[in-house]
Amino acid sequence: MSKPHYDREHHAKKATGIGDPQCFKGEAGKARFKVGDRVRVRNLPDVFYTRCQVYTRGAVGTVTELVYESPAAEDEAWDNTDKPEWFYSVVFRQKELWPEYPDLYAEDTLESEFSERWLEPA
Amino acid sequence: MSEHKAAPMVDEVSDFEVLEMAVRELAIEKGLFSAEDHRRWTEYIHTLGPLPAARLVAKAWLDPEYRKLAVRDGVKASLEVGVDWINDMPTHFGTPSDYCNLRVLEDTPKVKHVVVCTLCSCYPRPILGQSPEWYRTPNYRRRLVRWPRQVLAEFGLQLPADVEIRVADSNQKTRYIVMPVRPEGTDGWSEEQLAEIVTRDCLIGVAVPKPGVTANALRPVHPAVHPVQHGHDHG
Repeated sequence: MSKPHYDREHHAKKATGIGDPQCFKGEAGKARFKVGDRVRVRNLPDVFYTRCQVYTRGAVGTVTELVYESPAAEDEAWDNTDKPEWFYSVVFRQKELWPEYPDLYAEDTLESEFSERWLEPA
Repeated sequence: MSEHKAAPMVDEVSDFEVLEMAVRELAIEKGLFSAEDHRRWTEYIHTLGPLPAARLVAKAWLDPEYRKLAVRDGVKASLEVGVDWINDMPTHFGTPSDYCNLRVLEDTPKVKHVVVCTLCSCYPRPILGQSPEWYRTPNYRRRLVRWPRQVLAEFGLQLPADVEIRVADSNQKTRYIVMPVRPEGTDGWSEEQLAEIVTRDCLIGVAVPKPGVTANALRPVHPAVHPVQHGHDHG
């Protein structure tokens, strides 16, 4: 990941007129998960920066969509954009996230997005 | 000796405002952007509001084909209501907080969506404008994901147990708006009439459209049980 001649505008040049995350399309390779897969959010170390909320760690949900390809936020925060990943929309039962969630509302759900590194098969 | 103290000329400036000014001035000094760029951006941001999103929903209620497009590709559907996520903005590639990925969450009589960003304030600004102050408060952010029914009830929205509430936590690159169910009593309405009742709160998901209601309700404010004392008084 050497950047001998660092170009501060590299992202602007890549994304202008295309959009972000659209500009990373096709760069993540084969997706590890597909729609309908049950996945668990991993509890990885998150030194310095993360966008993977702690309340989702360890929870099991269902992939509802492969949403886009993009560098993970934890890399992008440091401008490391050379390894985009697939991002997934995952739906959880609220009861899975909050054990005290009332049984009366067992159908309530929450959805959020995760980069591939944060998910493992459940 | 007089006890009189002059009233402050302006409200207290928050720590975050001081930080923003400091970073902005440093960035300008360093040449990352110019004061002129900053002015253009600020003016651009203030031209944005929730009307395009309201029109998108009204249009989708009337046109089943457009509705499919809106749910499949929100960025493309936005073009028809005059919002080009990719090319409109001064940067032409979105900004780190307004990525070009809009998803329209389609409510049904049995599923009600509501949007939050638990990280801080992700919000579909190109199509909805600036977020309301309450949307950015820790109170809304931490409570909505955990007690959505209670928070919605505070907004005056009480939903039966057989309606699934789905909270969308917008913490990566997708930005969400809610497409509520078209309410009863709107048969034969034009797109303009329908758009009027799709308020910003309906688009965030904390309200549902009602004929005759064209404004956001006031956010209820409850005094804190254990208020934090901010120690700025060094007297």
